[in-house]
Amino acid sequence: MSESSSPIRLDLSSLREAPQDVLHLLPCEVDHNGSAPVDRYFTPAIRQGSQEKSVSFRGRSLKGQEVIVPQGYVGLVLKEDQRPCTEEEERTVRLKSTFGTLTVWNLERAPSADDGLLLALSWPGIAEAIHAPVSRKEQ
Amino acid sequence: MRRPRRAAPRARGSRTMLGSGRRRPADSHPDQWVLVAPEPVTDLPMKPDGGPLFTRLRNPSTGEAALYLFNSSAQQLFEVKAFHEEYRSWFIGQTVQHDGRLLFATPVDPLFLVLFYLIKAEKEKGKFQPLDQVVVDSEFSSCTMLLQCARVMDSLHHVIEEKEIGNKKFYKYSQEKTLMWLKKKVNQTVKVLKSSNVCVGGRVQSATFISGKQITDIKEDDYVRYAHGLISEYIPEHLSAELSKYLQLPELTSPEADPPLKKRKFSDAPVEAEEDYTKFNSSDLKNKKTTSKMSAAQKALAKVDKTGMKTMSAFFSAKTKARK
Amino acid sequence: MELAEFERDNAGSCRLGSPVPELCRAGPCCLGIDEAGRGPVLGPMVYGVCYCPLAKQEELGALKMADSKTLTEAEREQLFGTLDGARDFVGWALHILSPNLISTSMQQRAKYNLNALSHDTAIGLIQHVLDAGVQVAEVFVDTVGPAEKYQEKLKRHFPELEVTVRPKADSLFPIVSAASICAKVARDRAVKNWTFPEDLGDVRMEYGSGYPNDPKTKEWLAQCLDPVFGYPQFVRFSWSTAQTILESKAVPVRWDDSEDDPAQKGTRSVLSFFARKESSKRQPHRFFHERKLETVTGL
Repeated sequence: MSESSSPIRLDLSSLREAPQDVLHLLPCEVDHNGSAPVDRYFTPAIRQGSQEKSVSFRGRSLKGQEVIVPQGYVGLVLKEDQRPCTEEEERTVRLKSTFGTLTVWNLERAPSADDGLLLALSWPGIAEAIHAPVSRKEQ
Repeated sequence: MRRPRRAAPRARGSRTMLGSGRRRPADSHPDQWVLVAPEPVTDLPMKPDGGPLFTRLRNPSTGEAALYLFNSSAQQLFEVKAFHEEYRSWFIGQTVQHDGRLLFATPVDPLFLVLFYLIKAEKEKGKFQPLDQVVVDSEFSSCTMLLQCARVMDSLHHVIEEKEIGNKKFYKYSQEKTLMWLKKKVNQTVKVLKSSNVCVGGRVQSATFISGKQITDIKEDDYVRYAHGLISEYIPEHLSAELSKYLQLPELTSPEADPPLKKRKFSDAPVEAEEDYTKFNSSDLKNKKTTSKMSAAQKALAKVDKTGMKTMSAFFSAKTKARK
Repeated sequence: MELAEFERDNAGSCRLGSPVPELCRAGPCCLGIDEAGRGPVLGPMVYGVCYCPLAKQEELGALKMADSKTLTEAEREQLFGTLDGARDFVGWALHILSPNLISTSMQQRAKYNLNALSHDTAIGLIQHVLDAGVQVAEVFVDTVGPAEKYQEKLKRHFPELEVTVRPKADSLFPIVSAASICAKVARDRAVKNWTFPEDLGDVRMEYGSGYPNDPKTKEWLAQCLDPVFGYPQFVRFSWSTAQTILESKAVPVRWDDSEDDPAQKGTRSVLSFFARKESSKRQPHRFFHERKLETVTGL
């Protein structure tokens, strides 16, 4: 098997102290993992229009919309500080931060209800219904 | 430089500094994930070293590995899906994350996963067995956790026949009961599809349009077929075909395919409402017949299989062929 | 000249102008157009128009307007003061295009090149002045591109006007010189008083003229580069000067309309690692396909 098959424990011990993070889903692939001065370059340049947010990134125009995580759900950013060297060792991911909203950005065109992410946010509600126990009364 | 123009992108190999030597930084092994999960997932564990557990289990529809999540008490099971669009990355606080996926953990009925093993056991042995001999998997050892879910034991009766010998319980898969259970699943799925304005008729309408005004020419059948398609994501292929017959869905050329893009396929004899399902009874008998017949064939096949090295999936595809 | 309106949102564009002199509503006028800040990699590009009655051309000549490029900043400010003093027969209007607007237009999915942007801005300004009631009869335009095509384009838009598009018009026609002074003064002031929405930390604000060959500009560009964001919105990302630095020193960024990228194939195969194997015969239901939801096999 190509991926570790041992279970991965989610360490919730930092739940109370976990900070709220601000999340932006960009319409491009940034080939980097690591720090980025979002609050110095990006956040102050965001303009709130009557319909949508706008900003630019690398000289390209982005239009965005803030969305809320579905009711009854929480947004979690999980982090694995050190991946074990062998597949047999148990892995742990910790809760790094939480979020209640995120801003989804599109290139030049405002996100609409037909966009993948906005549609995807309906999945939890549908899943709840599919997977609810069947009631004995229903025939 | 009076008339600047866009420079042609350079060959990646000529990149300097940050560019060279750090292609695809950490994506072979991402170390950070963005997840949307039900609130109970964050219920604190009883033991300090406890906590929710991500584990790989067999996807009951494909038999292949998929990621699931047990809550801290291992009483609730969630499946993990990823919203994955090309050209997406995250800003998370003061960081950038290349992997722009958004993971969703959503509840899954653990009975679907147990059902997979019950069907497998029925095909291999075809007799009453204790559950702990049925739900075992050398490749996915976590599957035994499914039996610790109170919900599994409470709902097991929907899909099995039970015998008690001494004080030990023995179980056997019942397709007849399972289809009845799945029909209820389909019905509750139809309800949520209607209430959440999911576009079931075809992809021609946009969600914005649909949400404004309900399309009138969407038939009950379209909802049932769509719900059948969703439920089929959690059951083996042959059972999906059986369920389709059981629901009296008009045949489609390919078993699990929904109407192709733009060409919406409506049945000419729409079934009005759930109450109408009584009229399926006559065909149920026919189904039963087929079922018992097939289980004989299954047994025969199972015997052959014992000696061989066939994989689960090969076994299932052989089955489907035999059925046709 | 009050740039406050532009400064309120220096990521967009803004049109401003003097009050229209009554004389310009009463009789036929000439109108000059010039631009400032087309070449620099930094700051806004400003389009300026200046107009006065044909009958007052001699008086305009007496104001000794000259091509703004031959003047020092102080001389330009002084001449702008002179124009302001002649407000009873000279009017002006400006259109300031922010560097962000230039970057995002030129790099738009449907590319909007600088010439088209310039022409449309000039046309917009002429229309703006006409709408204000100025009796425009003759138009003089300075251009860097092919004059004939531009002239045809303007004539198509304004068949009733006599249009002259000429390279170096700013040194030939006093009304164009006046327009060039207005534009240049606005550009100078906007660059000088640029308020960065971004917090650039310790970066020194000595960015020179903004021309790519100015050593101060070069040094500033090297200094304020951020590997992820590249530059503040003050920089024109669409300029090859900026693009060259970004390509060599910043993190690669790919868009869905990025030109062919050999690295792309590799990316996809790495990411599809997480996706359902293609060999799997059962395709997910279209519900999931439409929502771009995939089965995950591991963290």
